[in-house]
Amino acid sequence: MSERFPPVPLPFPTLTEALLAAPQEKPFVTMWIDDDDERTFTFGEFTRWSNAQAASFKGHGLCKGDTVILIMPQGVALMAAFAGAVLAGAVPAILAYPTFKVDPAKYRFGLAGVSANLNARLVVVDASLPTEFLESISLSERSKLIRVDSLPPVSGNSDVTHTPCKSEDLAFIQHSAGTTGLQKGVALSHGAVLRQLAHLVNALEIQASDRIYSWLPLYHDMGLIACFMLPMVHHLHVVMQSPTDWVLQPESMLHLISRYKCTLSWIPNFTLSFLARRVKLEDRNYDLTSLRALINCSEPVRAESIDSFGGAFAPCGLQPTALQSSYAMAENVFAVTQSGTNGSVAPRTIWIDGGKYQSDGIVVPVEKRSVERMTFVSSGQCLPNNEVRIVAEDGNALPDGHVGEIVIRSDSMLNGYYNRPDLTALSLRDGWYWSGDLGFLLNQELYVTGRKKDLIIVGGKNIYPQDVEEIAFSHPAIHNGRAVAFGCYNANLGTEEIVLVAEVEESSSLEDSSVIDRAIRGSIVAELGVVPRAIYLKPPRWIVKSTAGKPARSATREKLLAEHPELRIS
Amino acid sequence: MTDSAKKELIDYIRKEIIRRPNVQIEADTPLVSSGLIDSFSLVDVLTKLEDVTALRIPAGKVQPKDMDTVSLMLKTAQRVGKPRR
Repeated sequence: MSERFPPVPLPFPTLTEALLAAPQEKPFVTMWIDDDDERTFTFGEFTRWSNAQAASFKGHGLCKGDTVILIMPQGVALMAAFAGAVLAGAVPAILAYPTFKVDPAKYRFGLAGVSANLNARLVVVDASLPTEFLESISLSERSKLIRVDSLPPVSGNSDVTHTPCKSEDLAFIQHSAGTTGLQKGVALSHGAVLRQLAHLVNALEIQASDRIYSWLPLYHDMGLIACFMLPMVHHLHVVMQSPTDWVLQPESMLHLISRYKCTLSWIPNFTLSFLARRVKLEDRNYDLTSLRALINCSEPVRAESIDSFGGAFAPCGLQPTALQSSYAMAENVFAVTQSGTNGSVAPRTIWIDGGKYQSDGIVVPVEKRSVERMTFVSSGQCLPNNEVRIVAEDGNALPDGHVGEIVIRSDSMLNGYYNRPDLTALSLRDGWYWSGDLGFLLNQELYVTGRKKDLIIVGGKNIYPQDVEEIAFSHPAIHNGRAVAFGCYNANLGTEEIVLVAEVEESSSLEDSSVIDRAIRGSIVAELGVVPRAIYLKPPRWIVKSTAGKPARSATREKLLAEHPELRIS
Repeated sequence: MTDSAKKELIDYIRKEIIRRPNVQIEADTPLVSSGLIDSFSLVDVLTKLEDVTALRIPAGKVQPKDMDTVSLMLKTAQRVGKPRR
């Protein structure tokens, strides 16, 4: 697919060579837990640790092209295991580490499905992963499960133990959204990853002196590509903390950017609203002047989130041009578009006629003060060698200002979904990737408006309403097939939240509403890892049905919003 | 830890965080893992925990799993809390 595009000069042909060429003494990753509990690894130290892992993996029989599953908590040990697998010429895939919120049975089910598809030669887990999960990992006769230390080897040599590979060889597999069992393994070549990173470096004018801050999980493309692969390949320093450490001290993100003078960071939209709301006025004593791009990515970009964060932290030296946006997906390695690519302008915000948009899918710009306006923030222009088309239901391209499905073509596209040619054929057609996202183009900028398949994005995490509804159906008091879940935007949080409405089998069950609510709520958390905002239990025949007898999602949503106007107010 | 600290925390979580009528919680009621509160609310709960225990609790030493019930919160405060300066 990359042959369609002009070749991009790449500093290295493979990830392996990029890592081995890194300046040994330069800091690579600082893992921060607290000011009295942090550790920085230079590229030299990291490479030695990765080399030791590569040697160990090879000793366990790992060969070139084999897949490796990594189930380890966020940290440098996980990164070294990942890089070690790459150095060994293998193809690593990071799976999410179980948290206390996850239902063990569901996690085991997901693990069994994903590991069966990956057919890994090695499954690498940390020393504390509970044994109960190990039995669910699908192991073939040639597979092996090993536990690794979270500490670097006491003495490591810098002997190169890497296995040479080519640009077109598979580099790793990153998993796209979906419940664990349904996750698709996105297979990416060294060349695709390096081309994507080269485009990012050019678009963001990245220099060796840039420093990245991240709290993002490494099993997600934003964390893996922007905050691990980018600094590893282009030899940048990244200051990192784990998502669970960040969530209990969200202001630590500002502390670290301030202390380490970080220049780049990627975050999902809700982070902006969350920090603007959380950090008290008297505590806003950070120095954010170093930050030149805080890139809003992975959930719809909201103008009010950008405004609230920009307003709250302007006194800390935050430059208005620092708040940028991007449209990205695992299938394209990462970014498709990037705003402010010349570093001088903030993403464009437009106000459009809400009526025409909703009735005809047409974008007609209006004045900011218009009553029925809708606001959209641009995700920027395409990166070099990335093309976006907006297409109608019939597959025909739509002109500017018309809402349709976003389809993409680039030189950093996935090779395919690993071991799933059926899914690959559905999404990749004639070189174009059908994203399932809706949006429009205007003056060469992309505006993302939502998901074709009613996807709910909660704090950057993609949740399918069908998964929420299935959980409701599994409760004995709920009428099977009579539940509707949808996303409801909470401007205060800057993200969508899940709202579920479900019919009970018998009206008398409504007396036990709080018990049923709690049971369903618990299952949603255990299976999907998110807390629903509200669950509404309704008597039989309340949900609006389509002519086919199925719940009509949008009509049910409107009925619920009419009965519960509090849902419109976040 | 005193019963009054326990009661104050429970009242706070019920009235300020959960904010839904008819939801009763006890010291051992799972909060995050049951979906009664989300992880992002834990920051507020941690601040309240510092108040009721009169301790400074370094957030970096706390994991969300240490905050799943009121009893666990109070144990965590005892384990990692430091006297306030």
